[in-house]
Amino acid sequence: MIRGLLILSILLVTGLAKIPVEAAISAEHRREHFRAVEFGLGLREQVGQLGFIAALSGFRALVADFVFIQAHVAWERTEWGRVLLLFRQVTTLQPRAILFWDMAAWHMAWNASVAAMNDPAQPRLALRLRAQREYFDLGRDFLERGIRNNPEKPQLYEALGRLYRDKYHDHAHAAEYFEQAAALPDAPSYDRRFAAYELSYCAGREQEAYERLHRLYQSGERERLPTLLKRLKFLEEQLHVPLAERIPDQLPADTPKR
Amino acid sequence: MSELPHTAFSLRRVGALTSNTLRELTRLRVFYVLLLFALLLIGSSFFLARMTFQQEFQVLKDISLGAINILTSVLAIVATARLLPQEIEDRTIYTILAKPVHRGEYMLGKLAGVLLLLAITTLLMSALFLAVLYVREHTVLAETARQMRAAPPDHLEEALRNVRASAFNLNLLPGIAIIFLKAALLAALTLFVSTFATSNIFAVVVMVFVYFIGHLEGTAREYWQQEHGTGWIASTFLGLVALLFPDLQLFNLVDDVVAGTPILPALFAKTAALGGFYVTLYFLLAWAVFYRREL
Amino acid sequence: MTDAITVTSVSKSFPIPFQRRPMVAVRDVSFRVEAGQVYGLLGPNGSGKSTTLKMILGLVRPTRGTTEIFGRDSEFVASRTSVGFLPESPYFPKYLTGEEMLRFYGKVCGLGGSELRTRIDTLLELVRLTNARTRRLGGYSKGMLQRIGLAQALINDPKVVILDEPTAGVDPAGSREIRDLILDLKARGMTVLLSSHLLEQVQEVCDRVGILAQGELVREGPLRELIAIENRTQLVLENASVELIGEIETRALAAGAQVVEKRNSETTLEKLFLEATQSATRR
Ligand SMILES: Nc1ncnc2c1ncn2[C@@H]1O[C@H](COP(=O)(O)OP(=O)(O)OP(=O)(O)O)[C@@H](O)[C@H]1O
Ligand SMILES: [Mg+2]
Repeated sequence: MIRGLLILSILLVTGLAKIPVEAAISAEHRREHFRAVEFGLGLREQVGQLGFIAALSGFRALVADFVFIQAHVAWERTEWGRVLLLFRQVTTLQPRAILFWDMAAWHMAWNASVAAMNDPAQPRLALRLRAQREYFDLGRDFLERGIRNNPEKPQLYEALGRLYRDKYHDHAHAAEYFEQAAALPDAPSYDRRFAAYELSYCAGREQEAYERLHRLYQSGERERLPTLLKRLKFLEEQLHVPLAERIPDQLPADTPKR
Repeated sequence: MSELPHTAFSLRRVGALTSNTLRELTRLRVFYVLLLFALLLIGSSFFLARMTFQQEFQVLKDISLGAINILTSVLAIVATARLLPQEIEDRTIYTILAKPVHRGEYMLGKLAGVLLLLAITTLLMSALFLAVLYVREHTVLAETARQMRAAPPDHLEEALRNVRASAFNLNLLPGIAIIFLKAALLAALTLFVSTFATSNIFAVVVMVFVYFIGHLEGTAREYWQQEHGTGWIASTFLGLVALLFPDLQLFNLVDDVVAGTPILPALFAKTAALGGFYVTLYFLLAWAVFYRREL
Repeated sequence: MTDAITVTSVSKSFPIPFQRRPMVAVRDVSFRVEAGQVYGLLGPNGSGKSTTLKMILGLVRPTRGTTEIFGRDSEFVASRTSVGFLPESPYFPKYLTGEEMLRFYGKVCGLGGSELRTRIDTLLELVRLTNARTRRLGGYSKGMLQRIGLAQALINDPKVVILDEPTAGVDPAGSREIRDLILDLKARGMTVLLSSHLLEQVQEVCDRVGILAQGELVREGPLRELIAIENRTQLVLENASVELIGEIETRALAAGAQVVEKRNSETTLEKLFLEATQSATRR
């Protein structure tokens, strides 16, 4: 009995000592983007009691994968509302997985939007266009939230750049996001190029685009890809660059065709 | 007839107890969990086949590490909980403690045996998992290279880099080490509980509760520290949870590691130190209870 | 003679949950075991034999009183450097061979190397299990298990062995072997403390006995003296011819004595035992 109380008090005293340590490590985890998920009522309503308990007990990623697979099935059945719902859960459960944000946005902006546009049940074009636009926005929303949760990874910036380029045809925004991706340490070399391409489509920013593309062109043989040469020539025309400063006409022999 | 010199601590004695514990545990067919793990890996690869490689790798890693996580935790609790009750029931504990063996040495031997078992199973499961991942990575790399023969070199390079990045990642290793730490913590805590538990089942039930409460400890601690204007009953309850239970969420880093978050060495060191602290604390408490326990 | 084991007014009570009065398992028991003696602790089931032995081994802590082995308090691990113990009906891991089991216990005692190897050989020889050394304990008979258990108790070459009901559950032949072993150990100068309720066996090997009933030591003393209370003399002869026995009988009758039984040591001890324990029950 006395020993029991003694041991309980040892636990309490060491507990007092460990609490600040655990709080500090916990804070550090947050800073390092670990465990960025909020275990609130909202999540519990979304994933159900069982999933919530499993997620709480260290199997968050597994629950996320499970929901993701359900989303995959829903996609195969083209149940778009369900795909959206399930991807919201997946990304809430595992906000650090680029893949889930990317997939969610892709399903919305590329797949669901096309399905909405071709919806035989909706004869009015204006409404179909509006539905399509709404799916673009849903895709953009996923990517923006994904970026907020993973600011250090270039992939979602790229995806958002592609979304602006291919779906909204908004080259200024596309250029901006490719540029942001390119600025990150892990970015692939083509992000800088893509940003410059997009800029070359923006009316009024031709000079800026030309300078960038030209710099890329001069950085070496590697960058002299067909699209780059084409855009550069287009800008040379637009900006009336003196003939002497223009790039040579023929394609480098060893560049693979796109 | 010369009397053996008696020392307070002997590595040979503890070593004998450790290897005996390990041997006893392996006799329990605990290595069936490895078979279970292998089946899971094979089974999951079937439904992973229809996904893209990023999805496949992510789910493969999540499932494998989730399985390693749950299997080591369950093993830690179930294997440790039966050690003392079983030896008392078999009365072999009398033969051992009737020898010039300190009870601390006995407990240390038991704990070390379980930890060794956990280390071996973690290593074997990880090796199996990494082998599967390696094979899949190389298949996907070869496929990607074949499909992208015509692409610009930096695109191909980036694609291959993507494959590599989404497959094996060096950060998985500290992640796995932390899974082991969590299991070690649970084993030490189970040993402590089993020193006063009246039966094997009781210890397991207590540990299941501890497991869930341990995962909520962080939340309780934060509420308690923030003083959310709760009544004193709720506040006392939260405080007790925060003080008495370890924060098990701190050992769940592997989910985010799979998603690509790196574990910095300093953070790993702190987490490992915390795990070591808990293992030591619970071992010492187990010893303190067992030291005067009637057998 | 030095005392191998000293038990000084020990009591042991176990608390009973939800009851104020604890269960008293051993009540103010004192006795001494001289070095080289075989001491038998007798008593019906639940009389506190095992509890007393466990207290001597430091497995259970006395509520009152002290126990010592060669002058060292049982509370300390050092008191167990020269003692071996075979608990009542132990269960040794089935998957070990006899040899492996002894090696484990040897290592637990801090032994190793060639010293341990020769020790194992000697012990297997002693308990006549050399042929079964590589067989798994799962295949051992009850008698073999008790003998390997005895070998285990002797692994660290102790000066005292404590055996809790060493012949329980063993058939007559097996128990005969164990008794022979005990006598063998005694012949080597070892002290033996054993508990039993098999009286004729105790009578055969013990120099001194103590009888426990409901936790109290109701009789204690040299076996012969205890039996002598009955006012009878027992003559155990070896290699006596029929004529000699006839002659003794005639002489005894002539002298006015009566030959009650010819070979009947058991009944005497049993009577004593029953009388002692029953009187304790009546109290
Ligand atoms: N750990 C314990 N907790 C409570 N009671 C106990 C404990 N150990 C023994 N007892 C009680 O103490 C009494 C003496 O038990 P003990 O085992 O010493 O008897 P014993 O003489 O060895 O009997 P047996 O011949 O059955 O082996 C019994 O009534 C038993 O129920
Ligand atoms: Mg007994």
